[in-house]
Amino acid sequence: MSFRSGFATFAGKSSYWFLHTFLHGGSSLPGKITLKLDPNILKSLGAKYDVIVITGTNGKTLTTALTVSVLHEKYPTILTNPTGSNMEQGIVTTFLNAKNPKTGRPLAVLEVDEANVIKVTQYIEPKAFVFTNIFRDQMDRYGEIYTTYQKILDGVALAPNATIIANGDSPIFHSKELPNPIQYYGFDNEPDGDFKAKPNTDGVLCPNCEHILHYHSLTYSNQGKYFCPNCGFSRPELTYRLTKLGEQTPTSSEFDVDNHPFKIQVGGTYNIYNALAAYSVGRFMGVDPDLIAKAFDTNEQVFGRQEVINVDGKHVTIILVKNPVGLDQVLHMIGTDTHPFSLVGLLNANYADGIDTSWIWDGDFEQLTNREIPTVITGGERYKDITFRLKVAGIPDENHIVEPDLEKVVDQIKQVSTDHVYVLATYTAMLQLRKILASKGYIKEGLGV
Amino acid sequence: MTYELNVAHLYGDLMNTYGDVGNILALNYYAKQMDVQLNVKIVSLEEDFKAADYDLAFFGGGQDFEQTIVSQDIQTKKAELTKFIESDGPLLAICGGFQLLGHYYIGADGEKLPGIGALDHYTDKQDNHRFIGDIVIKNQETGETYHGFENHQGITFLGKGERPLGNVVSGKGNNGEDGTEGAIYKNVYCSYFHGPILTRNGDIAKHLLVAALKRKYPDADFSQQAALPIPATF
Repeated sequence: MSFRSGFATFAGKSSYWFLHTFLHGGSSLPGKITLKLDPNILKSLGAKYDVIVITGTNGKTLTTALTVSVLHEKYPTILTNPTGSNMEQGIVTTFLNAKNPKTGRPLAVLEVDEANVIKVTQYIEPKAFVFTNIFRDQMDRYGEIYTTYQKILDGVALAPNATIIANGDSPIFHSKELPNPIQYYGFDNEPDGDFKAKPNTDGVLCPNCEHILHYHSLTYSNQGKYFCPNCGFSRPELTYRLTKLGEQTPTSSEFDVDNHPFKIQVGGTYNIYNALAAYSVGRFMGVDPDLIAKAFDTNEQVFGRQEVINVDGKHVTIILVKNPVGLDQVLHMIGTDTHPFSLVGLLNANYADGIDTSWIWDGDFEQLTNREIPTVITGGERYKDITFRLKVAGIPDENHIVEPDLEKVVDQIKQVSTDHVYVLATYTAMLQLRKILASKGYIKEGLGV
Repeated sequence: MTYELNVAHLYGDLMNTYGDVGNILALNYYAKQMDVQLNVKIVSLEEDFKAADYDLAFFGGGQDFEQTIVSQDIQTKKAELTKFIESDGPLLAICGGFQLLGHYYIGADGEKLPGIGALDHYTDKQDNHRFIGDIVIKNQETGETYHGFENHQGITFLGKGERPLGNVVSGKGNNGEDGTEGAIYKNVYCSYFHGPILTRNGDIAKHLLVAALKRKYPDADFSQQAALPIPATF
């Protein structure tokens, strides 16, 4: 380590200590200070580690957490970044906080924001990249799915020897020739049919000949066993295959991968993709399937985003929603609840939520009308938008309570007729609601995700 | 339902960013209240559009790549789309759809890509800048105020026979210069409003539906439909 890096590291570590001791926080400021003093700091900080970079639109956090627990079965020391610290400064802070490894080369499993991949690969050549998916997100941030993928590839271009472990069901990950070794994972549990994606789906053009892709089987959005009837472009051979889908509930999923049974304590097909990604990294790193199954089974806490809160006897599940594909999957997941439930939709449009609320119209709220939902509550700073969305979806007025004030939403939740309540909230609405729940003593202070 | 309208959702599987499908949902929502059944069909790549088959059309915005492909394919539908527009067919076009009804627009790599020139506007491009944010406009003829969210790099300049959908009260509009937003030509309504436009501005949905009804059922009385109260949703 050069004197400059050494000094920068010292300054960053001291500021971390200061922030943590006196201000109870500070996950990116130490990185910011260190980067100011030595912009090349990641090179010396990361040199000691084998790094696995996990990126994509949805599922980064959970895939990272699951991958860490899977790899823990074989590797004792693993460095990882806390939720949300997935940009350059947060990553530098993560390395700064690490204790110096005593022996061997420890692993670092990092969740990295799509546009920040290049900020990591400028200094560190990762051992592997994991691509979860690319969906329409907040396009005011990065633009379209193709530009988002290009941002990732700009970073990958600096690490041509790193193995890419990619979601094979997503056509975009098969659209460019790359020098890297590539392994694909995907769903292979259904007999071949011939389908098209739902009309309002992104990324359905064949990257080869620009005709509309067909599918032998579809999981959701534009993911599945795709093929182009015009030019023959098709899903690549899978290295890791989901071979069977078992029982799915809002709180658990059973499935086989490469004919080996697994269970995770969380619902939602999207979480099975996350688990499949973690499995693939585990296998790539030589972890035995039995140990992976054990890691999945014993790591309930990584699913913190779907913790159940007891509010005067109501089982309240708060779920973060931020884009249409995620929203559809959440709606599908809560639809697997065998108990009657009430639904709460809280919409804000601050920067962290996405300032454009149009995405709620891409979410398939219409599927809610398949279920009898005794009470629907809409609220948040943009309650008018979400209220009209649900009205158009067909929620009858007599079941629909409009309540912008989140304090009163909590009071309303206590009065619903069902024991189960699902709260779908955007990021800042979720923070506001958690703060209220904490002040009333239903949860501890803090984010808890 | 007493009445029925056939709706063409032009390239609905490719041109569908920023919740534009919400416009179809809103049309359906208000149509039901007007005793009208909507039959919506997506008309996409390599499929025929026949002017005579449809009473109403919607054309949304898309990503750059998809819009490039549509720019080629739509040339095969140019004659029939122009026929539909010239025979007073009601059509709503948003963002990329708006651009493709005009003479040309500039693609992501700076190339000039053709529209169908059914309307007399053209679209240039800002360098590395987009108009993003809430926008309010006022239609001078009806006095109606419209609320939306704009997000576009293209800058559009209206031509002969086109009036703006509204004048910008706050926000940027077609080009940030002349205070216009969107376009009206015959029964064609164009706009850069995503958001989507009809969910926040039910009056426009009503204008489109009533125009389509009057055109299809010239002898019926639609005064009741035209009087449908539109609640504020924003």
